[in-house]
Amino acid sequence: MTAAVAGQQVPVAAPPARAAAWRRLLRSPAGLVGALLVALVVAAAGTALLGLTPYDPIAQHPQARLQPPSAQYWFGTDQFGRDVFSRSLAGVGNSLRVAVVAVFLSALVGTTAGICAGFYGGRVRGPVLAVTNVLFAFPPLLLALTLATTFTRNWLTIAIAIAIVYVPIFVRVSRGPVLSLRETDFIKAARVLGIPTWRILVRHLLPNLAAIVIVQVTLSLSWAVLTEAALSFLGLGSPPPAPSLGSMVFDAKILAGTAWWNLAAPGAVIVVFVVGLNLLGDGLRDALDPRNGRNA
Amino acid sequence: MKLPSALSAPATRCVLAVAAAALVATGCSSGTPGKEGSTGSGTLVVGYTADPNTLDPWKATQFQAVHLLEQVYGTLTELDGDLNVKPGLAEKWQYADGNKTLTLTLRQGVKFHDGKPFSSADVKSSIERIQKPETAAVAAATVKSIQSVDAPDPQTVVLHLTAPDAGLLAGFATTNLAMLSKDDTSEAIGQKPNGTGAFTFGSRTAGQSVKLTANGDYWGGKPKVGGLEFRIIPDQTSVVAALQSGNVQFATLDDPLVAKSAEGSGLKVAKTPSLSYHVLQLNARKAPLDKLDVRLAISCAIDRKQVLDTAALGAGEVTGPITSPAYKSDPNARPCPTRDVAKAKQLLAGAGLANGVTIPAIVSQGEYATSVNEAQNLQAQLKEAGITLDLQTLESGAYVDKWVAADFTAAVALNGGRPDPDGMYGRYFTSTGNLNRVAGYSSPELDKLFAEGKATTDPAKRKEIYTQVSRHLEDNAAWVWLFSSYGYTATTQGVAGFTPMANGSLQNLRETSLQ
Amino acid sequence: MRSIARHPLLRRLVETVLTLFGVAVLVFTTLRAIPGDEITATLGTEAAGLSAEQQESLRAYYGLDKPLVLQFFSWLGNVLTGNLGFSRRAGATVGEMTANALPVTMELAVLATIVGLLIGVPLAMLSASRPNGVRDGFGQLVGLAALSVPNFLLGAALLTVISRYAHYNPNAQGFAHFTQDPLLNLQQMLFPALILGFGLAAPIMRTARSALLEVQTQDFVRTARGKGVAPWRLRVRHVLHNALNPIVTMTGIQFGYLLGGAVVVEQIFSVPGLGRQVLAGIQQKEYAVVQSTVLVIATTFVVVNLLTDLLYRVIDPRVRAA
Repeated sequence: MTAAVAGQQVPVAAPPARAAAWRRLLRSPAGLVGALLVALVVAAAGTALLGLTPYDPIAQHPQARLQPPSAQYWFGTDQFGRDVFSRSLAGVGNSLRVAVVAVFLSALVGTTAGICAGFYGGRVRGPVLAVTNVLFAFPPLLLALTLATTFTRNWLTIAIAIAIVYVPIFVRVSRGPVLSLRETDFIKAARVLGIPTWRILVRHLLPNLAAIVIVQVTLSLSWAVLTEAALSFLGLGSPPPAPSLGSMVFDAKILAGTAWWNLAAPGAVIVVFVVGLNLLGDGLRDALDPRNGRNA
Repeated sequence: MKLPSALSAPATRCVLAVAAAALVATGCSSGTPGKEGSTGSGTLVVGYTADPNTLDPWKATQFQAVHLLEQVYGTLTELDGDLNVKPGLAEKWQYADGNKTLTLTLRQGVKFHDGKPFSSADVKSSIERIQKPETAAVAAATVKSIQSVDAPDPQTVVLHLTAPDAGLLAGFATTNLAMLSKDDTSEAIGQKPNGTGAFTFGSRTAGQSVKLTANGDYWGGKPKVGGLEFRIIPDQTSVVAALQSGNVQFATLDDPLVAKSAEGSGLKVAKTPSLSYHVLQLNARKAPLDKLDVRLAISCAIDRKQVLDTAALGAGEVTGPITSPAYKSDPNARPCPTRDVAKAKQLLAGAGLANGVTIPAIVSQGEYATSVNEAQNLQAQLKEAGITLDLQTLESGAYVDKWVAADFTAAVALNGGRPDPDGMYGRYFTSTGNLNRVAGYSSPELDKLFAEGKATTDPAKRKEIYTQVSRHLEDNAAWVWLFSSYGYTATTQGVAGFTPMANGSLQNLRETSLQ
Repeated sequence: MRSIARHPLLRRLVETVLTLFGVAVLVFTTLRAIPGDEITATLGTEAAGLSAEQQESLRAYYGLDKPLVLQFFSWLGNVLTGNLGFSRRAGATVGEMTANALPVTMELAVLATIVGLLIGVPLAMLSASRPNGVRDGFGQLVGLAALSVPNFLLGAALLTVISRYAHYNPNAQGFAHFTQDPLLNLQQMLFPALILGFGLAAPIMRTARSALLEVQTQDFVRTARGKGVAPWRLRVRHVLHNALNPIVTMTGIQFGYLLGGAVVVEQIFSVPGLGRQVLAGIQQKEYAVVQSTVLVIATTFVVVNLLTDLLYRVIDPRVRAA
């Protein structure tokens, strides 16, 4: 949402050099901490993906049920004797997969639609905006809820449900800047020179949009993680036995009084993850906004 | 220029005042929970996780609806604490004509809540309407054996049966066969229930509560509480929170974890073994489960106790097919009394599946608390025997759709039990049973045994017959019976006199008092 | 004709009607795609025991035997004449249910917005008073926490703690409407409003902070400061006032989301609002309940957006001219 506000003051100049943006990102404390946290979380997901977790996240050890945190089980065990630490790592991976695919899909569809609606106007604009308006008017969590109930449940359909909810945000974020870019001299010049439209879109418009879309992607990732968790909390998340952070919280809800670590571990990981994504989003926005050059 | 109201100085003061008032109110009343002006002091508040989804007793299968309607409606027979049949609206009965005629004598002076007297005409009309397909009564199959109903005088009902039906009297004791007034329509009682039960229907507010008032004219004596309020609190953990704060005095819990947390906080928690059973249903009409060895391998590879310990934290009992106290199956009477992975592998190899086999299984999420947990443990155990349980977790609507259509190879299920074994399994495991498609298994031996069980009213003989039924089901691994969990009743300290029942019924709320 | 159609207000109206029609179509079709129907939702697995004739008569009873197009238009027609449908579960018309639930949701949204503003705006002013200083760091940290802690985690934890240790749980006393028992009502709304408001504080704080920073650097602020206007007066009368526009927009958007987005908190605290009405409708497959309620939420959302726009014009006369 903050990006939507930033989008109103779109940088029309050429995008800042990539290396400079990186430097700026890592120089700001928010960006640095965010990047580190996200890197940590991605690394955790990586270890799970490579099978490097201390225990198999779905292997059950019925004799070691509900053990509190110890040297052997860092985050304790759940009611099946599964290692909560290993499950949290694997859960990050699954949640990340849902979030990334959801945001990628919505960014792809939303930005494409937004660019077309902004650039072509007329016949394209009408339907795109109509669909956007409808999706916006539909309460987002309820939309995700309805969609998640509709499909056969697996991580991909959850991702698609979340993606549909976020499409209109990307349409709005990208369309505004395109509208103003369309009227700038260099685009007008390009059109006069007879450069094909697709080339104008890809070579000239897209780079100018990249900053806003990247920031929006980062922030949306954090929402997607939270939405997946909220859906799981209502019992509509990723199916077992593969752990996702949300479903771990859901399963542990009733254990909160007796085996708190089952709730605390995935809960804390969600918070760290989302804090990291938000900080990174802030850092990226500052770093990619050319006007910030003079402040730094 | 004017500031928008939310930020102008007077408005801000006002907002702060409201917030402060709320905080003060919070502080003041935190010590006096449970006070309510609108209902009488003798009202027992029952915590309840969902609205009853219908007020039609003939269509009610949801727990909440049944728990509510059994307070309002009466049945011909009732069950005692050991689930033996006892008189209800029918005071006594007599079999004749080789058990093909059943004469019921009705209780005198019973009145419906609207003041009309209850008579044999109402019984005749109720049974006949239940049998009509248009009524879509869920228990229509239970009264299938009734060919015709005579009402020679107001206190006498004569039932002519197509064949002897020893389970019929126990079958009558369900709210799904409640007696309705002959003048009431399904639409009318859907709005304003009118029964003969201990409580009359008061009012309801969707998503919040249903209120009942004690019936002074009840034939069993006026209930000890002035009324019941079923208060809807969507989440079981929140129900426990409500009990702890004293705002709710009575609740049934099915989640052992929740019950445990309630136990630890000064509430009275009683557990009752329940009739319903957790089971891995196998569809013997679908490959590879059509092979007996594959089914037996699954049965041998599962330690029931482990499923119970992990999924339900040990809160229940390992069980065989029949759960009713009088006919209980011996849980160890099966081909592998203890887990035997080697035997399972050997059986698989014998079926030509030495390299393992994959079996898809449907699991419902949200239908009951332990489903997904059971599925996960079954999956882990079967994996060690080379059997891959491919779990398909479904939202409860999708699960019910597939279950009803028998569109599954295996299903993790929690099925309701009945006091009479014929009522419990006749519909599943006889080839003409209306649930046989879902059961996925039948055999001529079973058909014969069930027919014998129906024909005799001698308890000892029947016990013998149903032990054989149970044995046959286990030997053929028709399904894999796992455990029956405890039902929990949690109350505050002041609640007394409630007797929980194995069929989960709350009929004894009429004998419960509140200090 | 053409000139009338181009009138912005009229165009907006037509757009709104089309949007709502789209919502109606979307909710209708997704609902039918969900497996199961009111029969299986009501009877559960017992539905398997019904004979074909029994099923047939139930389909007619629940109105599921008619073609979908007919179902859609008869529902829409009813809605247009003010009949939102009937809920068998609730034993009430959807109109009555909504008349009960909408004020609850509105109240919760208003209270949460107030909490959000009370936390967000002062925090933003604190932050903006010394950009990149310690205060700014603190403000941003709180904002970040508000953005990152999921409300279901906060809600579940809070409820467990207060009822287990303080034996205080106003939400279990049966919901009291503000008109019935204002004191109890405010107690019941307190925790849900605090939790939702805390989450709301994040976007408000962030928007307000960047708007304040923007305004602070402008000439008239410097002039005022030069004239010796007291700092707090300067901040409130001049800076905050001129930064209101984006704050109001953001608050409006967030308020709209609260109408349907409070479902999780409503569920935890047993608040009988619109979100729970929809959730229960989905679970029970009561199509009319879900369809009509979503339409009501969408309509309210659109109206709130319209009002926000109008408010925008009141605050900033330049928009009116444009």
